[in-house]
Amino acid sequence: MMAMVARRPRRRSVAPLIERRFPLHLEPALYSIRELYHAAKKAKWDPEKHIPWRSFDAARYTAEQRKAAALSWSRRAWTEYGGMPETPAILIRICLEHNGESDPKMFLCVRGTEEAWHVECCYRFADELGGYVQAPRDPNYQQLFNQGFHRKAFDPAVVVDAYIAAHVAVQRGLELELYRGYLRHATDPVAVAILKRLVQDKERHVTFGWVYLSEHAKSWNDETREEIRAEVIHAVADLELRGYHCAWLVPDDAAREIVAADAMTRQAGLGANSVDEERVILTQFLADARAKFGGLGIELPRFPAGTLGEL
Amino acid sequence: MTAVAARTLLDEPESRFPLDLGIRIPKIRELYRSAIKNQWDPQTAIPWDDVDVSRYTEAQLKAARLYWSRRAWGEYGAISESPALQIRFCQERLAPDLRFFFTIRTQEEARHAEVCYLMAEKLGGYIKEPVQTAFQGAVATHGVRKMALDPAISTEAIIASLVCAAEEIAFDVFKHLIEITRNPVANKILRLIMRDEVRHCAFGWAYMEERVPDMTKAELEVVKNAVETMIGKVELNGYHAAWLAPDNPASRAEMEADRLTYEAGLGATVEEDEKPIFVASVKRIRKQMEPWGIHLKTFTHPKIGEL
Repeated sequence: MMAMVARRPRRRSVAPLIERRFPLHLEPALYSIRELYHAAKKAKWDPEKHIPWRSFDAARYTAEQRKAAALSWSRRAWTEYGGMPETPAILIRICLEHNGESDPKMFLCVRGTEEAWHVECCYRFADELGGYVQAPRDPNYQQLFNQGFHRKAFDPAVVVDAYIAAHVAVQRGLELELYRGYLRHATDPVAVAILKRLVQDKERHVTFGWVYLSEHAKSWNDETREEIRAEVIHAVADLELRGYHCAWLVPDDAAREIVAADAMTRQAGLGANSVDEERVILTQFLADARAKFGGLGIELPRFPAGTLGEL
Repeated sequence: MTAVAARTLLDEPESRFPLDLGIRIPKIRELYRSAIKNQWDPQTAIPWDDVDVSRYTEAQLKAARLYWSRRAWGEYGAISESPALQIRFCQERLAPDLRFFFTIRTQEEARHAEVCYLMAEKLGGYIKEPVQTAFQGAVATHGVRKMALDPAISTEAIIASLVCAAEEIAFDVFKHLIEITRNPVANKILRLIMRDEVRHCAFGWAYMEERVPDMTKAELEVVKNAVETMIGKVELNGYHAAWLAPDNPASRAEMEADRLTYEAGLGATVEEDEKPIFVASVKRIRKQMEPWGIHLKTFTHPKIGEL
């Protein structure tokens, strides 16, 4: 069990953050992020109205397929839910920092709502498919979700840019690629509609992470770059390569029910990837992320990944 | 203000499962749905080109810029602090409806800050900080974040004091502002903000309606104390209305700016108009809490007397 609880990089000892609200900057400073905020407002949608729930035809699927897909979509709701406490925490954290940029704050206010819609859609589709499942069966697998990202976002010992790099650019970046895969393989109209919306929102969320890092990279010193590097390594090695998003990577087969369910969901066109497809996505994503971080002056190591060799 | 209290909810590890996402408080889930349907964008929902500054004197514009900047500072407080309540709802695994609703409430607060900022800009320029340092303290110490993360303060006490008392008082003033604000752009902004605020207030009452039947006398006493503190020590100390604040150069300057903005019809009110509204709000809040078994004490203020 201990192996599944994430190790965290060594932290600095720092004093609690004290908010200095004034001067209160509300003018645009990071224009690309302000644009993302405006784009998010324009792209607003309503899970009730924009998903064709009534067109779901349960008769097209076997009971076994529906049960499997209900579990796949429940798992998605569990993962998506992480954003509901995390986004307000990172929002408050950025408010406590003293660089004064309002654009990330505005953007995160919208991201929080979009995450609620994502949870709602995954939950509701799981329910339509035969019943939302409230928890993973295996208690060890349950622990993988209890990362307390919101607590970490508040921790002044974690540099905000390191948090954004690890948990937005990397974790949400991989998530986006996996969702693009779910969408490519989905044929059910409700699954397609949900996944299209989620992918569109997630594209903005991930873009936000990389733009934020690019804007701030010029102010990094060696110590900051090392902290960012350590946090990214932690996110990849301790979370992603242990199955935070790819259930087949969970140690000791603790998520085998999810892996089996995803295979059947993929086959039924209800929105999932096969293990082989996820292997390709993960490998490609890490290569791309390594190149992008290299461009920001952060060199990532290769990661040992069991049967996958070195990634 | 420090980020968190000495021992906070954040000291407890996350325990996500079982993860209930069903409808547990239908009224609040309905408010969430209604909020999704009624989203608006400050960039496009306001006829910004209709702002005609040539109709106003320099003094009026300066006062109105300050008024709308101050509104933006106030709305920003809800962005910087209230999301802590969302963390609390998640950490304590309260009804999922609360968590869903609060995500969109935070977005609405961002819209409000943005629209007030844009209005100040249109009037000549947003002002980044209070001129008077005494007032800076008043708008910088919202205090919700600390309360929200403090396990010693019940969620019911926070919601009753912050929403059913403070937001309710602000809401009544909003209704009044819409009646007296003649500038069509300012009026439109106030209407759009109020449309959101209706839901924010309804959320508080719906939550308490759900919780009160299960609360003990001792728990209700805690709620009563929190509401009395909010009205007596925060509202009657001028948190929303400068004329209620202790007399000092800062509060006098704010009142003067409010009067000029009010006379120009650009969106503020003044003591003589606001006082009866404030009194009626407190009386109504008292009456609405009586069925809960909460009987608020009599408050006193030099400008109001006994209330």
